[in-house]
Amino acid sequence: MSIHRSVAIRTAVGLGAALSLTLLTACGGGGSGKGSATDGKVEGEIKFQTWNLRANFKDYFEGVIKDFEKANPGTTVKWVDQPADNYADKLSADATAGTLPDVVNLSPDLAYPLAKAGTLLNLDKDKVAAKFKPEYLDGAWQGFDMPGLEGSYAFPWYLNTGPLFYNKSMFKDAGLDPDKAPKTFDELFADAGQLAQKGKATLAQPPTVEDFGRYGVQIMSEDGTKFTFNDAKGVEFLTKYQTMFKEGGLHKQALTLTAETAGQKFLQQEVAMNPGSAHDLDTFKKNAPSLYNSLGITDVPTNTGKQNMYLQGLSVNSQSKNAATALAFAHFVTDQKNQEDFGHKVAVFPSTKGSLDKEYWTKADGTEEGKIRVASAKMLPTAVNYTPVLFSDEMKTILRNETAKCLQGKESPKQALDSAANQMTKLIQQK
Amino acid sequence: MSTSTPTVATKGAAGRPRTAAPGRRAGRPAGRTHKAFSPWLFLAPGLLITLAFNLYPFLATVWKSFTDARTLTTGEFVGFDNFTALVHDDQFWVALRNSALYVVLVVPCLVLLPLLLALLVQRHIPGIAFFRSAYYTPVVASVVVVALMWVWMLDDRGFINGVLHLVGVDPVPFLSNQWLLLLSSMALTVWKGLGYYMIIYLAALANVPRELHEAAEVDGAGPIRRFVSITMPSVRSTMVLVGALSSVSAFKVFTEVFMIAGPTGGPGGTDTTLVMLIQRTGTGLQGRTGYASAMSIVLFLLTLVLMLLVLRADRKDKD
Repeated sequence: MSIHRSVAIRTAVGLGAALSLTLLTACGGGGSGKGSATDGKVEGEIKFQTWNLRANFKDYFEGVIKDFEKANPGTTVKWVDQPADNYADKLSADATAGTLPDVVNLSPDLAYPLAKAGTLLNLDKDKVAAKFKPEYLDGAWQGFDMPGLEGSYAFPWYLNTGPLFYNKSMFKDAGLDPDKAPKTFDELFADAGQLAQKGKATLAQPPTVEDFGRYGVQIMSEDGTKFTFNDAKGVEFLTKYQTMFKEGGLHKQALTLTAETAGQKFLQQEVAMNPGSAHDLDTFKKNAPSLYNSLGITDVPTNTGKQNMYLQGLSVNSQSKNAATALAFAHFVTDQKNQEDFGHKVAVFPSTKGSLDKEYWTKADGTEEGKIRVASAKMLPTAVNYTPVLFSDEMKTILRNETAKCLQGKESPKQALDSAANQMTKLIQQK
Repeated sequence: MSTSTPTVATKGAAGRPRTAAPGRRAGRPAGRTHKAFSPWLFLAPGLLITLAFNLYPFLATVWKSFTDARTLTTGEFVGFDNFTALVHDDQFWVALRNSALYVVLVVPCLVLLPLLLALLVQRHIPGIAFFRSAYYTPVVASVVVVALMWVWMLDDRGFINGVLHLVGVDPVPFLSNQWLLLLSSMALTVWKGLGYYMIIYLAALANVPRELHEAAEVDGAGPIRRFVSITMPSVRSTMVLVGALSSVSAFKVFTEVFMIAGPTGGPGGTDTTLVMLIQRTGTGLQGRTGYASAMSIVLFLLTLVLMLLVLRADRKDKD
């Protein structure tokens, strides 16, 4: 055998092995063994995991942990914060290795596969946890109800509707009223047409599943067995987006930009509007002062009158060796006092009953942020989580790719949505 | 009488003298037991690592490809269902086409251009060391950082379009056109690989006898004739090696396309490559690891076939 042949075959075999290595994490089965009782003594060490919070809220969390440890002598809370990128992969690696932290910060879509695999504590079925249920808003508690699994799998934590930022200067240059941001999708499409006439794009991303929901499209069937966004309403919505793309209302690179790079286009004032979060305000202030000076903050347009509710929760690992401590800590972080304190530090809203009736969320303090805070808080009781719990990353990509084909004119809106809905329904039927 | 160290000399079966150490039983070969397992002791660390990190994952992938496993479930045996589903998966064919295009367009560039570059920097002229280092720099640079720089350069308002604008050319949609996105990714792969293969060629060129070139020059052969008739045949084996290595790299391309065309693989996923599709399908909390494993196996077999074809062509050529 020649040396080249040997090298080549080794390389090929190595390639296969290397590729398969990426799939190695899938070998486990979601941990093993039973956790301890939740009605036991609150003591010992637990691990608490959040995502993307340490950079801005280190002091807050260290304070909360200190308070808990003081109130419960003999307990130690080890806090880890994971980066937002690949958080789902980190969770899956931990879950398969049986090393999921005792208390985990999750959104409903991340909680679903973990709950299904039996790694999260069913709070409704746990007699200690179920007692806390009346403390939370009903909608928020139900936000962690999982289709096909009876019960709720996380203590509701903070809520958000997510602000929409817009560039008042660009609005003014296009002859639009800079103080009158679009409230409905029809107003958005009209404004986008006017901005496009001046050669300015309005948005930097194609529609998401939440946008379909806000337009009034039924995303899934009532029984959660199939996707239904390919109905007449969905087709109407995508047709309007297609027109907007053709007219230049969407950025030329909108079909390939990520949420992060779309944000950069807004920062560079290449698009007039972009959804974001309260953290973005600091970025604008530091990196784009001219944008900051002409920044408008409003709610995302909706035709249903209901905003999308982004929900975060704290789940308890069902295999925790210190389940009583984990449960007590998850409740402690999400109790009324701590949630309200957190809501004062950042533009998020508490999910505990009565909190939103407090003055901070009902009376504006004269600032732009205060005005938005009060307006958003008013919308929260009716807000809906338009993203189905079953909606996986793969489904997100399918919807994005099919809408992109439509916007490019390769498929009609009906063809694109039918294809997306069929593919996604097939995925949930495979489970 | 001799006073040297006492040894016991015996006759072996074949009549050859055999010497045993003092105290060792006669008739037993010295150190045979030790010799039997000592190679395995030396091999053990590498062997264990290979078994744990290469062979086991590979076999696990083969097994998973016949199951409906997901990230958090081991799944059940489904026979060839995953492979049948692949045949009917449009996105798989798009990914296969893009990976094949990558091989077809990138490999010839990576076989030929580094050779030309090596010929250029092979010369002993002042300051050539700087150029050798400069051409090698992309190899050691982080592909993610480099790709980000390329994205900035290729942007509608980036450096390249800025230059084109100065000479009155309309912006080229490098980052929004399906084919330009793929070509831009290929250009990045070629640019990043040039230095690596250049070093391999430099080593091969050092072994080409100078006399051959001198004789050809005396006979009136020009630079192109010498390149075709002397240089290329002399480094033919290295060209095959580079072709094989770059084919594998091209087939498993991920980062360049992911960074330039975005995580969705270009507009509508039209620039997705096989490895991108494997990553997208098999990762995340709800990843379909069984299906992704089936794709991995197909990729492995395709690569293996490609390699065997290259080697067969090489052997035929030699014969």
